[in-house]
Amino acid sequence: MNTQTVQAEAAGVSMPPVLELHDVKKAFGGTKALNGVSLSIQPGEVHGLIGENGAGKSTLIKVLCGIVRPDEGAINLAGRAYAPTTPREAKANGLQVVHQEFNLLPHLSVAENIFIEHLPRNAFGVVRRQEMHAGARAALDAIGLSDIDVRWPVARLGIAHRQLVEVARALMTESRILILDEPTATLTSRETERLFKIVSDLRRRGVSIVFVSHHLDEVFRICDRVTVLRNGETVFSRPIVETNQDELVRAMVGRKLQQQMASEVVSFARPAQALSLARFRPPQSPHAEGISLHLHKGEILGIAGLVGSGRTELLRAIAAAQRPLSGELFLEGKPTSFRSPREAINAGIGFVTEDRKEEGLILNMPISANVTLASLSDVSRAGILDRKAEIEVTERLGAELKLKYGGPGKNAATLSGGNQQKVVLAKWLARNPKVLLLDEPTRGVDVGAKAEIYALIRQFAERGLALLVVSSELPELMTLSDRILVMSQHRVVGELSRPEFSEERILQFAYQGEQQQARQ
Amino acid sequence: MQALEKTQAGETVHARQLPGWSPKVLLRDAGIGLALLLLIVFFSVSTEHFLTANNISNILTQITINLILAVGMTFVILIGGIDLSVGSMLAFCAVVGGTVLTIPDLSVFQAVALATLAAVGTGVVCGFLNGWISAFWGLPSFIVTLGMLNIARGAALQVTDARTIYSFPPSFNAFGSQMIFGIPVVFLIALLLVAIAWFVLSKTVFGRLLYGIGNNEEAVRLAGHSLMFYKVAAFTIAGALVGIAAMVYMARLNIASPIIGIGFELNAIAAVIIGGTSLNGGRGTVIGTLLGACITGVLANGLILFGLSDFMRQMITGVVIILAVIIDKYRERLTGI
Repeated sequence: MNTQTVQAEAAGVSMPPVLELHDVKKAFGGTKALNGVSLSIQPGEVHGLIGENGAGKSTLIKVLCGIVRPDEGAINLAGRAYAPTTPREAKANGLQVVHQEFNLLPHLSVAENIFIEHLPRNAFGVVRRQEMHAGARAALDAIGLSDIDVRWPVARLGIAHRQLVEVARALMTESRILILDEPTATLTSRETERLFKIVSDLRRRGVSIVFVSHHLDEVFRICDRVTVLRNGETVFSRPIVETNQDELVRAMVGRKLQQQMASEVVSFARPAQALSLARFRPPQSPHAEGISLHLHKGEILGIAGLVGSGRTELLRAIAAAQRPLSGELFLEGKPTSFRSPREAINAGIGFVTEDRKEEGLILNMPISANVTLASLSDVSRAGILDRKAEIEVTERLGAELKLKYGGPGKNAATLSGGNQQKVVLAKWLARNPKVLLLDEPTRGVDVGAKAEIYALIRQFAERGLALLVVSSELPELMTLSDRILVMSQHRVVGELSRPEFSEERILQFAYQGEQQQARQ
Repeated sequence: MQALEKTQAGETVHARQLPGWSPKVLLRDAGIGLALLLLIVFFSVSTEHFLTANNISNILTQITINLILAVGMTFVILIGGIDLSVGSMLAFCAVVGGTVLTIPDLSVFQAVALATLAAVGTGVVCGFLNGWISAFWGLPSFIVTLGMLNIARGAALQVTDARTIYSFPPSFNAFGSQMIFGIPVVFLIALLLVAIAWFVLSKTVFGRLLYGIGNNEEAVRLAGHSLMFYKVAAFTIAGALVGIAAMVYMARLNIASPIIGIGFELNAIAAVIIGGTSLNGGRGTVIGTLLGACITGVLANGLILFGLSDFMRQMITGVVIILAVIIDKYRERLTGI
């Protein structure tokens, strides 16, 4: 088949597609994750798959590798109907995925990880170690990782090398289609080059590659064809030579790109500053210059950026959920530093985390207990809880936030996503904070409750509360914010004031930041 | 849940149920109480001597020590921890207390007061170390208290040179078998401890946060509470209760030996689990623990009266522990309680 492919390519004959999707749909509850995805992948083609956060790329990959079953639509693999029910079945059909999150077992050796699915065994079921090591050695050499000892535990490798080991594992089995989900997110430029070389070798052998990436320049470098998803639909699919970066951004966002150049960063100088950061470096921030920003009283400052740009880390460091590496933090002009979330909260900072269920709420405890969790001293005397006061606070804030609930004694788990989020907001409002940090404030919240939460956030600002909002949904940020900072690679790469808001501008900043990083 | 969403906040009539005393929790405790009642009825009907005043006070005396240890264990298990060292700590606290108790030239009052202080103090120090070491280094309490199990036992043997301490003041011993209306005084002490623990766990900020930590540690930390303090406190309370249990032990049996209390931690854990407290933490009540301790006590006593061997009794107790957890699992799945 390999030689055929090469010949066919040479002759310019178009082959039947190896993978074909037609109008694939998948809904989770009321959310349409996939709403008509069509895709056609040729043998030996590198196919770029791009789209904003939430466009449906991850769901699509899950459908292809058998984790999620589609509701509607047809999928053909090499001419036959394809409906895998398990990842194992997908592999048996020659479809391999290198996932974004790591699936390696850190305490096993590199060789064991590579061979985990089919360890070479003798008649007694004992692993043939030498054979395994030799095989792993060959696999690593093949992708240019000769500097790694296959006997090392994976835990000893850096994040980039782990990613490449994962690629090596995927290459152990002959596959027709290899899906790389954001493979370069953790790689340095040298390793990215290695990966690209592997990709072009594979292509020559007739393997098709689906390359999912946020980095448009990479897509242009290695892809033959590019498909854009938006809101779960295929909106664009074209050979790479027939398109350009602007067109792709436009397709991702969905409107005409206005040809305007980025204006200079406007700096505001309002007197009443609530929070300022100077050269503030959250953990993992690779840059010495850190992040500097000013947040004013009554202002809603939005923070945009791609996944992994360091937005959550910034909020966590301000709230002292994690210690910053260095830098200064000023609260109402006074230099401050917090050693624990407790100190940050006492100073007037509230933090609505991204993960409501893991970090925000105690689901199996009553709503009232959740509302008062951060202000227990207000509803107790000498350490003894005043249940009446607790219920009063809950009912007062519940009414203010239009919380729909069965009663203060009902568990938080009984609430819908939007109402759970309101409980988290109530928890911080009960403390009367000066600064409220919101990480993805409407994640997992239905449309109606979203609008309510927006209205509430604006009300808070009108009362003089300073709000820092991180969101992956650009329309949300543009609705809420007075000003938007764009982050990329753990630094602020752009600032937009309200009249300058547009999704195109924000994405331009975000992608430019990525490219600058790549050039360095 | 849909019905809830339709209700407008304004028109909702809130049942003023108190958190911690919600009908669900009451129902859970009531279920365990019912099981206890059935056991009592069964043994009363099937054996001649079960329902006699003498036997009842016997049972109450027998469960007292386990109950006190189980109250402390409830605090630890509620935050998602476990304390395997209480049996050894009991021996260590007893020999330290016993040594003080036998100091010559002290009045009985002085001796008992000082011995109590010494025994409880020993328990507090051991419990504090359990909590602090596991919280500070983020170690599983299973491992740390397994270490303490050996340390405390070794320390008890070391300070006594493996000898048993006896000849305590006679009035101290008399106190151990004192009755009020046929109820052993030591059991009343245990009941008082249950009442205090119930108050602390359900009525105070401290108790609220222990439940919170057991359910979602990170949410509690991000709400501005020191996990370290509450974790160390839970283990320290368990230690203090071991000290009190050691005094009760000496008052009843009139000896303090470095080899007492072997396996007591497992009986205490069994009482807590049968009482409906989740080993994952965050769920359970000390009333449940009281009922759980009664169930194990009634079973032990009743099965012997029933004519079963001690070996059979042990097997049946094991079955009950497993059954309790299975029933709990179903209850959780079916009713969401």
